[in-house]
Amino acid sequence: MLEVKKVGIISCSGEECAGGGISRLAARHVLESTRPGRTVTICLPLFLAGGEEERYFARTFPTITVDGCEKRCAFRATEKLSGHVTKALTVSDILGAESAAAPSFSQRQLNPELERKIDTVSTALTEAVDEIMGKPAAAEHLLKPTVPPAGMRLL
Amino acid sequence: MSEKNERKVMLVPCSGIGKVHGLIGREAVFRVAGELRPQDTELACLAEIVTQDKEIRERMNGRLTITVDGCPKMCAEKNVRLVGGEIFTSLRVVDAFRTHRGAQAGSATELTSDGWQISDELADRLALKVDEARQGGNKDA
Ligand code: SF4
Ligand code: SF4
Repeated sequence: MLEVKKVGIISCSGEECAGGGISRLAARHVLESTRPGRTVTICLPLFLAGGEEERYFARTFPTITVDGCEKRCAFRATEKLSGHVTKALTVSDILGAESAAAPSFSQRQLNPELERKIDTVSTALTEAVDEIMGKPAAAEHLLKPTVPPAGMRLL
Repeated sequence: MSEKNERKVMLVPCSGIGKVHGLIGREAVFRVAGELRPQDTELACLAEIVTQDKEIRERMNGRLTITVDGCPKMCAEKNVRLVGGEIFTSLRVVDAFRTHRGAQAGSATELTSDGWQISDELADRLALKVDEARQGGNKDA
């Protein structure tokens, strides 16, 4: 049985509230700092296009979605347009609805409090990645280690 | 000013997360919505638009919208059209780089001073487009 070698992370990156920005920065933190080489991402709207790259991504990596609020757009869009979501995290569940619903922020406004929140979510996301890594791939979502389409850039 | 233009202009950046371009567009939109034209603009989450749910379709239907896309795939523009939004114009981050050849703008995680400069210039252009949209100017698209 195949083992999971990399995990896909899809963040909602929502623009309307703080939760979306936190989801985005937590995802970036895991991709770059806590689990580089073990995690990959792709722009969420590309799932709709359903081109070669998206099919490769959906077919190859178990996916964790990270949403800013209880609308869970990344989770719903991924399930609807692309495929199975292995684990779904929501910033409002992790930090509380109030933190998630706060106004969206520019990265110029990052402060120690926001950084602590991003850190909490990235810790939860790192744990979710570790939970999936090394486990056998579920038979119904058999992971096929294939060659990425030419020009595809995995982070 | 038509009845429609008395409403705020919707701003939708793409959700680009792999390269610096997505972050530049996102920050330009936040600058316009937060500082340059807060009274005239409103934000919508692109990920919610992508779901094409009834709630977001109703909210976007016929809404004058300016999109900012990180790459030629134009995800924000395409998805806004799919939910019935009326595109006033679509700005592209790659165009903002034309006057900054060779600039080291940063990454999808953070911008360098070059990156902030490109983003701020894009924000200035975007603010002017908001003014045109509010004044009922001609649509580009
Ligand atoms: S989950 Fe919430 S923050 Fe994220 S895109 Fe949807 S509405 Fe926006
Ligand atoms: S327009 Fe390009 S950078 Fe933006 S979300 Fe789509 S693929 Fe990503």
